[in-house]
Formats: sequence, C-alpha cells, structure tokens
Amino acid sequence: MTPLGRARSWASAPVALLRLDGAGAILDANDTFRGWLDDGTARDLLGTRLSALLSVGGRIYWETHLAPLLRLQGRVEEIAVELRAGGTPRPVLLSAELHGGHGEGDGDTLIDVALFDARERSRFERELVASRAEAERFAASVHTLLVTTTALARAAGVEGVCEALVHAAVREFRAGAAAVWLVESEGKPRLRAQRGDGPFDEPSTTLLTDLADAAHAGGTAGGLGVDPDLGAAADGDASGDATGDATGDATGDATGDATGDVVELPDGHVVVPLSGADAFHGVLVLEPRLRAGDDTLDLGALAATGQQGGVALDRAVLHEQSISVAHELQRAMLTDELPQPDRARISTDYRPAERSLEIGGDWYDAFWVDDVTLALAVGDVVGHGLQSATAMGQLRTVVRSCAESGVGPAGVLGHVDRFVRRRGVGFGTTLVYAELDVTTGRLVFACAGHLPPLVTRPGGGAGFLWQGRWPPLGVATLVAAQAERTSAAAVRSGRQAGAPLSTEPEAGELELSSGDVLWFYTDGMVERRDRSLHRGLEVFAQAAAGAPGAADEDLVSSLLGGDLNEHDDACVLRLEWDAPRRSGHGAGRA
Amino acid sequence: MIVTARHNAQISGAPEGAPAMVFAHGFGCDQSMWRLVAPAFEADHRVVLFDHVGAGRSDPGAYDTDRHASLDGYAEDVVELLEELELGPVVFVGHSVSATIALLAASRRPELFDRLVLVGPSPRYIDDDGYRGGFTAEEIEELLETMDVNYLGWSEFIAPVIMGNPDRPQLGEELTNSFCRTDPAIAKRFARATFLSDNRADLAAVRTPSLVVQCREDAIAPVEVGRYVHEHLGDSEFVLIDAVGHCPNLSAPRALITAMREYLSR
Repeated sequence: MTPLGRARSWASAPVALLRLDGAGAILDANDTFRGWLDDGTARDLLGTRLSALLSVGGRIYWETHLAPLLRLQGRVEEIAVELRAGGTPRPVLLSAELHGGHGEGDGDTLIDVALFDARERSRFERELVASRAEAERFAASVHTLLVTTTALARAAGVEGVCEALVHAAVREFRAGAAAVWLVESEGKPRLRAQRGDGPFDEPSTTLLTDLADAAHAGGTAGGLGVDPDLGAAADGDASGDATGDATGDATGDATGDATGDVVELPDGHVVVPLSGADAFHGVLVLEPRLRAGDDTLDLGALAATGQQGGVALDRAVLHEQSISVAHELQRAMLTDELPQPDRARISTDYRPAERSLEIGGDWYDAFWVDDVTLALAVGDVVGHGLQSATAMGQLRTVVRSCAESGVGPAGVLGHVDRFVRRRGVGFGTTLVYAELDVTTGRLVFACAGHLPPLVTRPGGGAGFLWQGRWPPLGVATLVAAQAERTSAAAVRSGRQAGAPLSTEPEAGELELSSGDVLWFYTDGMVERRDRSLHRGLEVFAQAAAGAPGAADEDLVSSLLGGDLNEHDDACVLRLEWDAPRRSGHGAGRA
Repeated sequence: MIVTARHNAQISGAPEGAPAMVFAHGFGCDQSMWRLVAPAFEADHRVVLFDHVGAGRSDPGAYDTDRHASLDGYAEDVVELLEELELGPVVFVGHSVSATIALLAASRRPELFDRLVLVGPSPRYIDDDGYRGGFTAEEIEELLETMDVNYLGWSEFIAPVIMGNPDRPQLGEELTNSFCRTDPAIAKRFARATFLSDNRADLAAVRTPSLVVQCREDAIAPVEVGRYVHEHLGDSEFVLIDAVGHCPNLSAPRALITAMREYLSR
C-alpha cells in the first residue's frame, strides 16, 4: 500500500482513530470520528479534550481510572464509554496507547486512541448488567426475608415479635433506626419496640386509619397501593378524602407491585403496615440510612416482612390471650390459704417455666378432711396452656369433693381415676395424695405415677416413699381391662374365679417422728436434660436434707440453688412435723 | 502490624526518626499513583504508602459496608493506621478524596498530623445553592453506570487468588488494569461515598496547617473548588500548578514535587 493509500485508509477506517497530546487534547482525528459528531463539534475539534466529549460519568471515569492507567501501564483496552457530542449518545469501546511521556510536561507525550462503535453490543451488555443486578437484588431479598421470617417464627409473644421486627429492620434491612407502634384499644398507637436513635413521632391516627382501611380492603395478599400523599395527612393536616384515595387505590392496584403497601413519608421515614389475617396491628417505622455509600431500603422485602410480622402478631396476640386466662385460673387455684395445724408446719412454692410463656399444669393443695385428718396433694397435668389449666382445676375439685372420712388415699385416687376415665379429662395426670392424722403423725399416702414423696430426718437422713404406687390417672384403665380379661379367662377355663383382682393398690403408711420433714414435689424440681432421673432424685434429696428449717419464701429456688429448669414449671409442698415452735401445746385442730 | 497489613502499607526511605510522610491515593486506583512522587522524598523522609480498604492489595475482608458507607469510616482507618505506625506527627499527602479523608482524620486527631498536603481536594462534588462542585447527582449515577460495564482487571475467579498472594506480587502485575482493580460492588459504594458526600462543614474544624495543590485545569476538582477549600481552611496555603487533569502525581510529578518541597521547607 502506498503512503497515500495508508493515509486514506487511516482517514476512513471502520473505527474512529484519534491522536491526543499528553493532557488528552485532540491533535488529530479521522473522518469516521468526525462523522459521529455534530457539525459544530467537528469543526472546532482540534484542541478539545476527548474526555469533554464523553458523558459526564465517562469523563470522571477517564480522569480517575483511564488517565492514571495510561500513565501506569501505557495502555488501556476495551473500555466502554459513551460519546455525547453527536445527535444521540453513542456507546463506544475505547482502546488507547501512550507513547513517550516519561519526561515532565507532556511535551513529548502522545496518546493514540481507537474507538469502536458498540451500540448493538452495548444494548446487549446493558441488558446483561440489568438482569444480573436484578438477580443480585432478588438473592439479597430472599436472604433477608429468610433470616427475618425465621426470627419472627421463633419470637415468643407480642413483645418478642416487635423486638424481632426492629432487630431485622436494623440488622437485615440496615435501617439507621426502627420502631414498632401497635394500635391499642381506641385506635391509640403505643411504642412497643425501638432500635437506634429516633426521634420517632407518633404515627398520626389518619395514617393508621388509612392503612387499616387499606388492609381491610386488600387483605394481606399484597399490592395495597396506599397513596404516598398520605404522608402529608400524617403530618397533621388530616385531609378528609385520604381514606377514600387509599381504598380506591387498594382495589384498583390489587395486582400492583409488591411494595405497594409500604409508605414513604415526606420526612424520609418509611412506614410498613403490620396486617394479619383479620386485624391491622400497627406499623413498623424505619429511618433509612442516608450516608452516601449506603444502599437503599429493599421496599419489596419490607412489604413481605410487614405481612409476615402481621401474621406473627395474630398468633402472638391469640397466644397471650389464652396464657393470661390460664394464668388467672392457676393463680386462683394456688393462692388458697393453707391450713396450719398445731403440730405441723406447711409451706408451698410454685415457680412457672421461664422459657415458655405457657403455664404448666402443676398444682398443690392442702385441706381438712375432718377434724383430725389433713389432706395433702401435689399433681401434674400433662401438657401446657389453657386446656391443662382447666383440667387441673377440675381434678383439684374432684380430689377435694371425694375426700371424706373413711375413704382414704387409695379410695380417693380410685375416684379421681374413674373421673379421668369417664370424663376424658386429664389423662396421664400424676398425683400424690396423702392424709395426715394431726394428732398422731400417722401418714397414709398413694401415688398415681407421681414422683415418690421424700422424708428428711432431723439427723440428716432422707428416704423416698416408694409404697402405694399406682399408674398415672386414666392409665389404670389398662390395668383394669387386663385384670378383667384374666378373670374372664379363668371362668371360661372352668376354674373358680377367685376374689376380684385389686386394681387399687394398698396405700403406703408412715409414722412421722418429731422433726421429720415431708416433701411433695413435681418433676420440674428434679428433671434436667443433662442427667438421669435417678441422679435428679439424689440431688433433690441432698438439697432437701440440707435445706434450712423453714425457708417459706422462694422454696423452689433455694432448693434448686439457681439450677432452674427453664422449660418446665416446678412446685413443692413441705410439711414439717412437730417442729420446735414458739407456743406448742397439745395436738389436733386448734 | 494488623492495620499495616490491612492496608498493604509499604514503608521506605530514611531510617526511623526521620520526619514521616504518608501518601494516600484517591478514588480509582491504588498506591501506585504515587510512584513518580514518593521516591523524591525518600532521602530525607520516612515514606509510607498504603491502599484504602477495598483498593489495591488491601485486605478484602476488612471492608465493612456499614463503616465504609461514609468517608468517616475511611478517616477512622487512617487514624488507626497512624496510631499503629507510631511515626509521630506526620506530613499527610492526600490526593482527591483522600484530601477530604485527611481533613476528617486531622480534625478528629490533630496530634497525629504535622501538616497536610491536599492535592486536587473537593469537599463536595455536587452543585448546591451558591456553590459549584461541578456535577449533578444524576451525573454521578452515570459514573456508576460506566463502572457497571467496566470491571477493570476484575474477575471474581482470579481476584481472590491475587489478593491472597501478597508474597507473589508479580502475579498481580501481569494483569492488565491491576492498578485500578477493585471489587465492583465496593468500587461503586466508594464512588457514592466519594461523590455524594458533603464535607464543607468539616473544613472549619481543621487546625492543622495545610497546602492546597490545584491543577490549572481539572475536570473533577475545578480551580474554584480548590480556592474554596483554601479559603475555608484556617491555616492553609494555595498553589496553582501548571498541569492539566486530575492526577498531577502522574502527569506532572515534577511540578507537584517542587510545590511540596517548597511548602515543606518552610
């Protein structure tokens, strides 16, 4: 190719070719490049800096990345930038090489540049970048939701759910601060949990009403589309038609984007409604972090979190209602005044499980059967909650009503067992029942599947009472059925049926000596996950034998010495016989 | 050693006891930006180069989305680095956004700084009422888009290998564009922290004597912005050097060295 031919092909090459000085100003450009520019720019091209013809983003990129790279490594390749000096923006790929330039002053420095038209490729790449960004956002949302949902599922009670929500807002959504306001009776909001520094203004009643209405109109299916203008109403000047707008949008935008029910207030706060299946509970309010490098809040995941939070609150509210009824019931049954005979001293203690909000089914009782007979009972209904509490109430009443002179502990347990079988209440309940003659100290007792009573002696000895054993209440049915089959078989085989098999074992007996202490207790006192029941009984016996004389207060914790079973309730009844007392005289009921 | 390693700090020049100079690179590339300037001070200074977290061969695990969401986090990094180095009050040379980072660090812990050299500083890049920073917020979004389609020397597969081999630096050198290699996600956050911050109010709190070095023509930090910084800094001098572009440390190293020497000799 002749030199002239080479020059021509430089001028009309299918790529734009430029020569710049060390400062990036254009010294020469081929026709292809000039053809990409508008006339004015093309005319005054020489001396213009190439970076000035790029988008502003491209210009910054040139100054902060490309110019330094040219100096550091002599060239750059395949950099995507956008030329802005033509009629429409033109994406190009830029490669450049720097020559000379190791001296000062750029006098001998030249930069050769080639620009490839990349409109098609750029469109394709932008789509790729957009879908990658979308995929990353989606993955981040899923992760955030997973963590948040798990925390909500684990949360116990309304307080726990509120704490989980503000925790997630700050930790997972990276809000600067967050608060949960729940609507109390009469529509008044109350601050229930907060993280970070507020200040959080109380959400306006208008805003809450509108969100509640929108929740009712749209259910929890998402896409409620509350008008963001509500924020203006929230600031105080309640506008009458805001409610109408909100409900209107809710129906019109039912399939809209998932962030529809999240409201961004003019002051920057983001309000997430907490709506359950049939109740609007309140709002989660977030203060976004606004520092330059912070990511924006994921409103879609927030909307989903609001719905999860609403459902969690449904559950928590229901749960707490049933717990409070159960607690009332149990308190009513455990706070009776205990009888205090002259020669015996009775003390009791009950401690609910710490970890679970549910009440257990433990109870204790002591009452007079007749003038000289004192009844003592400790029982444990299987399960937790309202059902166990009501079962416990019924069984306690049955015990009290069938305990009469002459019936005795075995008879009483028989009655209660038949009640359990017939009424289907309290199956599997364990119960220890005893009658004490307060004139003599003679104790008769029977034990339906319950832990054996313990007697500790003033000298330091201790022993469990293993007599009078009986299966748990209701379970005796099996024993009885077995016995009936056995006797029927005996009749058929022609053998004479003997006396019917007793399914009510004999009661155990014991004479209490002066200073003896009798202990009835439930499994919360001895069962631990990390040791056998046998070992648990040993530990309990040691603690009881070493316990100070009359530690009425906090009997449970003083016996356990801090080793509480967090998952189960625990109850203790202690009777001290012939304790040294201030004014002891005579026996019997005072 | 922990902070020094975190920032891939390189110490050279005069033995311990000599006055110390610490050079901080700006947004975009790494400590290589100082390769034509720092050696000129090695004869009479202890010279420290380092990479900001997220740039160059800094520890990628040290990047904290919370801490580094604003320039304050980077200023904390600088304070920790100076505390660990124990070089006495230093001459701190900050280019571009590192000028702002230096100002934040010096206002917080003045006793760590002897003097500041601020090369192409800008306390705010976005225009505001009565203030011309040179850019609009939308234009900064354009920059993020440009960064989105240009992963300079970055590949998720090889980058961890290079970063995990500080004892084999040649591995990195072989890669094109390695001087500006950054995890794209970190680079974009750093870009936002850099270009969307407003640190004008922090200037008044700085008591450390400082030199503002301004290029004659700079598309990133225009002359009027350099003058603004000078006017709002208590004890500062202003020098305009005959250079075009935002990186005189590479394009006009001699002019920059001369200006710095003259200031430091006083």
